[in-house]
Amino acid sequence: MSTKSSQALRLEVPTDFGFTEEHALLRQETRRFLNERLPMGELRKLADAGIAFDRGLWKEIAELGWVGLVLPESMGGAGLGWLHLAILLEEMGRRLVPGPFLGSLLAGVALREGANDAQQARWCPGIASGDLVATIALTEAGGAFETSGVAGTADPVDGGWVLRGRKTHVLGGADAGLVVAPFREPSGAVSLFAVETPNAALTAERETCIDATRPTARLSFDAVRVARDARLEGDAATAWNAVLVRGCAAIAAESVGGAESVLLTARDYAIARKQFDRQIGFFQAIKYPIVDMMCGIELARSLASGAAAALDAGSPGAETLARMAKAHASDVFANAVRKGVQIHGGYGFTWDCDVHYFFRRAMWSRAMLGDAIHQRRKLADVLFDR
Amino acid sequence: MSTRPEETESKENAEFRRDVRAWMAANKPAHPGFKLPQSFLEVESERQFEFLRAWQRKVYDAGYLGLDWPAEYGGKGDPLKRQRIVSQELNRAGAPFLVNVIGLQWAGPTILAFGTEEQKKRHLQPILSCEEIWCQGFSEPGAGSDLASLTATAEPTADGWLVTGHKVWTTLAHVAKWMILLARTDQAAHKYAGISYFLFPMDAPGVTVQPLVKMTGEGGFNQVIFDQAPMPKSALLGQLGQGWQIAMTTLTFERGAAEGTGGGQATPSESSIRAVVDLAQRVRREGRFAAEDPVIRDRLVQLWIQEEGLRLTGQRARVAGLNMDDRPLATRLMNKLVYSELGQNLTEFACEVLGPDAALWLGDPCAPDKAEWPRAYMNSFGVTIGGGTSEVQRNIIGERVLGLPKTK
Ligand SMILES: Cc1cc2nc3c(=O)[nH]c(=O)nc-3n(C[C@H](O)[C@H](O)[C@H](O)COP(=O)(O)OP(=O)(O)OC[C@H]3O[C@@H](n4cnc5c(N)ncnc54)[C@H](O)[C@@H]3O)c2cc1C
Repeated sequence: MSTKSSQALRLEVPTDFGFTEEHALLRQETRRFLNERLPMGELRKLADAGIAFDRGLWKEIAELGWVGLVLPESMGGAGLGWLHLAILLEEMGRRLVPGPFLGSLLAGVALREGANDAQQARWCPGIASGDLVATIALTEAGGAFETSGVAGTADPVDGGWVLRGRKTHVLGGADAGLVVAPFREPSGAVSLFAVETPNAALTAERETCIDATRPTARLSFDAVRVARDARLEGDAATAWNAVLVRGCAAIAAESVGGAESVLLTARDYAIARKQFDRQIGFFQAIKYPIVDMMCGIELARSLASGAAAALDAGSPGAETLARMAKAHASDVFANAVRKGVQIHGGYGFTWDCDVHYFFRRAMWSRAMLGDAIHQRRKLADVLFDR
Repeated sequence: MSTRPEETESKENAEFRRDVRAWMAANKPAHPGFKLPQSFLEVESERQFEFLRAWQRKVYDAGYLGLDWPAEYGGKGDPLKRQRIVSQELNRAGAPFLVNVIGLQWAGPTILAFGTEEQKKRHLQPILSCEEIWCQGFSEPGAGSDLASLTATAEPTADGWLVTGHKVWTTLAHVAKWMILLARTDQAAHKYAGISYFLFPMDAPGVTVQPLVKMTGEGGFNQVIFDQAPMPKSALLGQLGQGWQIAMTTLTFERGAAEGTGGGQATPSESSIRAVVDLAQRVRREGRFAAEDPVIRDRLVQLWIQEEGLRLTGQRARVAGLNMDDRPLATRLMNKLVYSELGQNLTEFACEVLGPDAALWLGDPCAPDKAEWPRAYMNSFGVTIGGGTSEVQRNIIGERVLGLPKTK
């Protein structure tokens, strides 16, 4: 499978982004729930105890319909769009919601875009209800996200398949009941496989992730035997492209939320903290970086909402916008945490200050699914070589 | 489903857009063969001015200006959306800018908001038709960023006022019929309360307009000296002492509305990004096209992302629910800061792409694109300084939007 690019330079987004009262309500309810359920003190408790996947919380957000938000109602999902999801993820990002949400989301995308009806019917309802924790293995050692980097192999054996390879940074990799992963067939084509766990030949080793809210693992497929119908029977290139594009849009939205929290924290500190008999926010060397942080976040928010709205509208510019959103939101979030620590001074360098939790998230999010350098390289091909 | 704007807008608007587009194609003037200013800030010669004035007149006569202004003042009373479509199509067609920008975008809306019926009837239509050009007399040698420290005075007489003072950097004053003028009318009052806002006739006696030369060598702005220059009672806009408040309204129009006026070299748009791509595909560096250099590609994409982000931010500003509820004005107030700095970054980058030929200036026969890029880079400072500097914009955003302590 070659990386299929449907990028276009026309980046129009519906005038009103397709925004409705329903979207406003979702934001309101999400914020209210997370303010109560996951105040910073609670998040600290989980993160400091190394609980990156809290099954209680998972059950609650599944019951709220978040886990199946964009899966169709016929499969137990809420049947909502990507602008809904962008809003939800922005709010989740503000609160650093832990868990394998993104893995489950993108496994769902892979199944919807790349599996046949029977396969979708088999797994999607469980994913939507949260009972089946699913994930997707997006990268291998070597750090490739585009399919050209897939080195794991799938060999046909006795009507089934044998899978070999190592996948890294898999969200919820040690917790999932279903892992979707790409492998290369002898023909050279890459296909997606859905592997149910436990499987004796599949071992998961938890990673020590810089972001304690991300339950990541390294997976070893040591001749994992799967049935014939474990291979997703759809267009793998299309499915993988959808996973990358929607994953970029999702991480971008979540990063906007994370950066927004850092902005508000830095702003509040610049107002509260006094030195030289003044609030430090009086000093323009503090004020201007906070303003620039805000401007960057607002542009990133526009790109993330624009990408989501373009996905909802099926606009040909969606991929370009999603890659732009990922690139820009990664940079903006990274800049926000960097300035965020500095603005808090010595306190900012302590474990007590909340900023490092966001710092860690920013480090993770910028690197996954293709960092800004990678995205911009793809975008340059669109800009220069169409 | 495709989502080009013409397909997401109403049938009537889509038809309107088609008409405007067809009209632009048929009526856009050919390049006159002499150097044109890059924006309304650099209009220096008579022939430049007449060319641009004729173009605005033509657009107005075709019914494409003042669409959202009431019909009794020369407009059409249509929704703002219609005027926005025209602006977009002007941009798209690469048409010349509308020269009476200060009238159209700043003075006009301010008069609509604060003017008497008589003032609206008198002033608005000639702004649209370009019969009467407007300039803005706010800044003084001692009062730039700290505008409220201005010292020009208007002394009351039996039938009006006499103005004495010194305004500077006054764009278009050399061709203007009118000036929006800030002058002190009460020396005893508080700094802000003593200022009034006037619609001043530039042909009054006692007014001297002296052109200033820009760093590019071009003209376009001036200093204006007032020596007991008379204006009638009807020149006052709003109430006596309300000048500061009205000026803030004008500045809001100036900073917010400046985007997409089809005006400036430093108003980045998809077409300005395209123009740099095109440049990189023509210019060779070390034996290969600049467009093949990965560093150049990466940097231009960074600018492209910001340009798209800014464009979508303008679009998002109109969707209340997608703006932060604790700072609903953020997306509007940041506009001027972001587009002016982006314009500066983009034009500077274009000069870097040019390599050694960026050193060739206006008039050199080998200068790429007639030295438009170094000229545009220099002119970009007009936008990061004029209308309130980038630093002042950051103060405003920090204080009014984010609630940070005031720098005074
Ligand atoms: C091309 C152009 C066209 C113009 N056209 C017009 C016009 O038509 N009508 C008109 O009235 N004016 C016009 N102006 C004037 C313009 O509004 C002023 O130049 C501008 O407001 C800055 O004032 P100043 O030049 O006095 O600079 P100053 O205020 O002296 O500023 C000097 C430097 O100090 C910084 N600074 C000042 N105060 C602060 C602060 N509180 N915090 C941080 N930094 C600060 C500034 O950002 C700047 O970098 C124009 C200017 C230009 C460049």
